[in-house]
Amino acid sequence: MENSAGTRQTLPEMPDTHVVSGAVYTDKAIFEDEKRRVFGQCWHLACHESELGEAYDYRTFDYIGTPLIAIRGGDGVVRTFMNVCSHRGAKIIQEPSGNAKRLTCFYHLWSYDDRGNCVDIPRPEAYESSGLKKDDCGLFEVRTETHLGLVFINLDDKAPPVADYIGAALDPFADSLGSGELEVFHYNRAILHANWKAWQETNLDLYHEWMHVLLRRTQVGEGSMNTRVVKSFENGHTMGGGLKASYDKYKGMAARDPGMALPGLGPDDFFFVDLWPNAALLARGTAIRIDVVTPIDEKTMLVEWRGLGLKGDSADVRRTRMQHHNQYWGPFGRNVPEDAFAAEACELGFRHGAATRQLIAREEGGKGQDDGMLRAWYAEWARRMGRSPANPTNAIAPD
Amino acid sequence: MALDAEDFTAFIDLCSTEFDYRITVYSPEIRKEMIWLDQDYEGMRALLEMVPQHLKRLGTLKRHVSVYIIDHDATAAIATVTSSFIVTHTDPDGVSQLFVAGTYYDEVDCRGDRYLLKRRRAHLETRDLGIGSHIPI
Ligand code: FES
Ligand SMILES: [Fe+2]
Repeated sequence: MENSAGTRQTLPEMPDTHVVSGAVYTDKAIFEDEKRRVFGQCWHLACHESELGEAYDYRTFDYIGTPLIAIRGGDGVVRTFMNVCSHRGAKIIQEPSGNAKRLTCFYHLWSYDDRGNCVDIPRPEAYESSGLKKDDCGLFEVRTETHLGLVFINLDDKAPPVADYIGAALDPFADSLGSGELEVFHYNRAILHANWKAWQETNLDLYHEWMHVLLRRTQVGEGSMNTRVVKSFENGHTMGGGLKASYDKYKGMAARDPGMALPGLGPDDFFFVDLWPNAALLARGTAIRIDVVTPIDEKTMLVEWRGLGLKGDSADVRRTRMQHHNQYWGPFGRNVPEDAFAAEACELGFRHGAATRQLIAREEGGKGQDDGMLRAWYAEWARRMGRSPANPTNAIAPD
Repeated sequence: MALDAEDFTAFIDLCSTEFDYRITVYSPEIRKEMIWLDQDYEGMRALLEMVPQHLKRLGTLKRHVSVYIIDHDATAAIATVTSSFIVTHTDPDGVSQLFVAGTYYDEVDCRGDRYLLKRRRAHLETRDLGIGSHIPI
């Protein structure tokens, strides 16, 4: 295709850190590399410990195509296993959650305990001739560690512990998540038609708050551009903070009752931390939201949203907390559907190369609507992937 | 019909001032009932008034309702109505897809010269709503 001169934009000389090629969203080889170098090696936020409140509570989920099951053992420790049977490979547990001392495969009734040991094989005599014993048939265990009540998994046995990986990035949540008093009251998931990074970017791009009528009314105040700060941590984690919301500025919404603020939070506080690569934790005084995005393929993602409040909430307080959470963040909220619309719209731009790159070039000294969070995210992507985001297809580093 | 046409004034006009609206969903992941939208009359009016200012999903929603049970309490002049619904979304190119399936549990106030919707529980079966919706179901 030939374009007449002048129809394509020309850019001034820009550092590689300020431009992201469209190929990072569309190239299949890059996506396969991400599965290995990013999702195969980084800590992944699987769930909150309140989802596994009692001994033998379990949660099942898929992680880059692998069925997994996290279960709280009789000893109180959360462990994760591949949710696939050692016999003929069937997915063992189909329900998203439950409680069971024995995980029994529906197919030939092999059973496993809370440590992943195979504890029962019906009519085992027939395996004697081949020397197969149930002790050899345990479930494959995946590394699992809990940090501030968040349950993380890692497919890489050599990765550093999750506390080292996160470093100081979750310090702003130490009093809230670390209180042990929180539980998940909202869970929602959706398949979105865009590359997984497009969702993470909605939580990194400060400039886009103009898109949200609700944020224009409640948050983009005069002073807030100077008081807000962007911070970067080791391993690509970032934080946006120093924001205050004026909830009563939006029609139909009211100022938050200070009595409902979560531990360590003021009622009007708003800040958020993005955990590299695929999680975001957002605190508004009365509710916390946790997003986790995982790719299905290079153009499809699964987003999971959680809302957290206090375990001890009365029914009335919980209802109000749900309202606060869902005004912004529910599937019928004013913000999240707009972010999802934006992520899918960018995919339409990049999918067939109509958009060739995006700009992450805003510099406001780490304040206001600086693109520093996006740049920090892509700097880590470059380090892990051995590719420059500006030029990702011709800079393949050896393993 | 009024919601399908995005004629929000007409919809509010069909609601009682005691209107109590909720979208409820059960999450098998966390084993809890959730309320995804929770509005009274004034709240609903304000929410609908703001919808046109928002960046919302393009296209239209269409609600298909089958009434299952009508229970009319003549002394209280209240009818409770249970209906099954599906909502389809039609994009600007005319492609329709199922958006959400669920059940309405309604209370209709029959005291005045017009019937008014007093209470609606839209209980959803569908939990993956894609990009979601600014408009109630
Ligand atoms: S596949 Fe599980 S028992 Fe046979
Ligand atoms: Fe947003």
